[in-house]
Amino acid sequence: MENRQRLTILMVPPGLWLLLLFLVPLGVMALYSFRPAAPDAHAARLTLDNYREFFANTAYQRLLLRSLWIASLVAAVSVVLAYPLAYFLAFRAGPWRVTLLTILIVPAWTSYLLRILSWRLILGSNGILNSALISLGLREEAAPILLYSQAAVTVTLIYVWIPFVALPIFASLERINKSLLEAAADLGCPPWQAFLRVTLPLSMPGVLAGFFFAFIPTVGEYVTPLLVGGSQGIMYGNVIQDQFLRGLNWPLGSAMSLVMLVVVFVLMAIALRFVRLRELVEV
Amino acid sequence: MMGTSCLLCAPARLRRAWCVASMALALVLVLAGCGGSAAPSAGQSAGPNRLSVLTWSGYELPEFWEPFAQQYPNVKPQFTFFAEDAEAFAKLQGGFQTDVVHPCNPWWNLYVAEGMVQPIDTSRLTHWDELDPQLAALGRFDGQQYFVPWDWGYESILVRTDKVQQPPQSWADLANPAYAGHLALWDSGESNHIIAALALGFDPWKTTPEQEAQIKQWLIAIKPNLLTYWVDFTELAQLMAAGDVWVAANAWPDTYRSLLKEGVPVAYLEPKEGRLSFVCGLGISSKAQNLDLVYAYLNAITAPQSMANFANEYGYGVANRKALPLIDPEIVALFELDDPTALQRSVFYQPLTAQQRQRITTMWNEVKAAR
Repeated sequence: MENRQRLTILMVPPGLWLLLLFLVPLGVMALYSFRPAAPDAHAARLTLDNYREFFANTAYQRLLLRSLWIASLVAAVSVVLAYPLAYFLAFRAGPWRVTLLTILIVPAWTSYLLRILSWRLILGSNGILNSALISLGLREEAAPILLYSQAAVTVTLIYVWIPFVALPIFASLERINKSLLEAAADLGCPPWQAFLRVTLPLSMPGVLAGFFFAFIPTVGEYVTPLLVGGSQGIMYGNVIQDQFLRGLNWPLGSAMSLVMLVVVFVLMAIALRFVRLRELVEV
Repeated sequence: MMGTSCLLCAPARLRRAWCVASMALALVLVLAGCGGSAAPSAGQSAGPNRLSVLTWSGYELPEFWEPFAQQYPNVKPQFTFFAEDAEAFAKLQGGFQTDVVHPCNPWWNLYVAEGMVQPIDTSRLTHWDELDPQLAALGRFDGQQYFVPWDWGYESILVRTDKVQQPPQSWADLANPAYAGHLALWDSGESNHIIAALALGFDPWKTTPEQEAQIKQWLIAIKPNLLTYWVDFTELAQLMAAGDVWVAANAWPDTYRSLLKEGVPVAYLEPKEGRLSFVCGLGISSKAQNLDLVYAYLNAITAPQSMANFANEYGYGVANRKALPLIDPEIVALFELDDPTALQRSVFYQPLTAQQRQRITTMWNEVKAAR
């Protein structure tokens, strides 16, 4: 009883925080998405025009698809790259575990913006990659490599997310009871089969959490494409930002944000359902 | 308490609801608190003995307003910065409280229409008669003066003279395939709409839907020439210094100057249709608290020496004609500040309505989304 009371008291500040700074603004934005844009911006009526405009403009839909595609790619590659890292930390690192984990997270202590800008230094024409290729004689002229393209956006985002994806996978791998693996070996499972049938399914919650850690923020990403995307790497988030600022069109910007939110929710619901069913089958 | 963006003709209850709504959204969007009785501590509420100024970053240097510091040594102006006009407008729209604002002329009509600013009593301005009347005229709306012109500047084409054999003669030459992969355009729908219109021979501020379609096509067609759309001018300066960008549009005078200082061989062109030019002005927020302080600040910042200090720092033109003898002759020559016809030869930015801004934003996003 006392525990529960204490828990309630502890939950109040974050609850209020979420309510005031997340749910209320979200509701306000939902309201805004039904407001008319200029020249009727001052009219007190509600309208579906913003949603109509979104669904009538193929450029917006194409950008949303592009953002979803980039986000899936970034999240999937991050998971693939982060999994062996987490696996090594959980099962092989031994006494080095804490040190290595810290090293993994250290880059995340510096500013997000700095880490993106540093990619401009790596990929730029006077960058490390270029200098190395030129001194090896593989390239004659200094020119930006990859920079200002969708590929640059993808590479940069994968780099940014790997530590965040590795952490939940590491946590789920660490929780696996080692005796299960011994049992698998006793019953004649070769290591690869034990991995596929025991370790991987048991770490799926971590994999999924890691995937969505990277996927969700990437769908709405706008800073990275702004800095390294150039004329080809624009994403859906950039359009939303533009609607709010230069377009003076808060209603359309709100509608576009909500469409994105709904799409992400739907995808998440599908994915979660899919995984839970799989877990049932495996057990 | 009323947000300026709020509905002027709606029933009171609805109006209040939208006000609260705008403010809550603004809180999240621009991380700026709203003024007013509901949340007095969140914003920059200007008390009777305080002055707050919303201006461009870099415009806060004390030598630009020294007489104010002498007159009111105990009042330290509080500066809030913006990096582009749209940001400043969004801040005020969200209920941000300030005394002095500093937008540029293509945006001023919106501030006046939204009731965000109040008319200026020019009889309280000690340097009013020294200001360029042509620039001052741009600050008049509905017969009243809303801004004091302060800084003006160009937007034009910057080229690396060592890399480009044939520099562009016209805005249309940006499409020259000789620049393939080495062109950078400013990531601004408004400025690209204007240069495309000039390249195609249209009046940028009176475009028909057919012309707008052609403008969009032109901007999509030059994409193969582009290395990138530049976002901040330091990025552009780096790209030009590194030799990645040979031709850049709409570059500003300070980028040109900083590259010259670094010894990079660049030229600031005057296309045959003219350079673009703009003027920014200081105005008074409709919620300003202490008008004595506001006018003292306006008088300090428009003094000849203050304006000359600004021109010497950044290489922009200034509105006070008496500042000219105090400006570094090299800067005067570089931008022909002493030639009254120089500004007349340029294409002056004109105000856009909210609808035009919406259309241009949509067009620009479609251009960027195109392959």
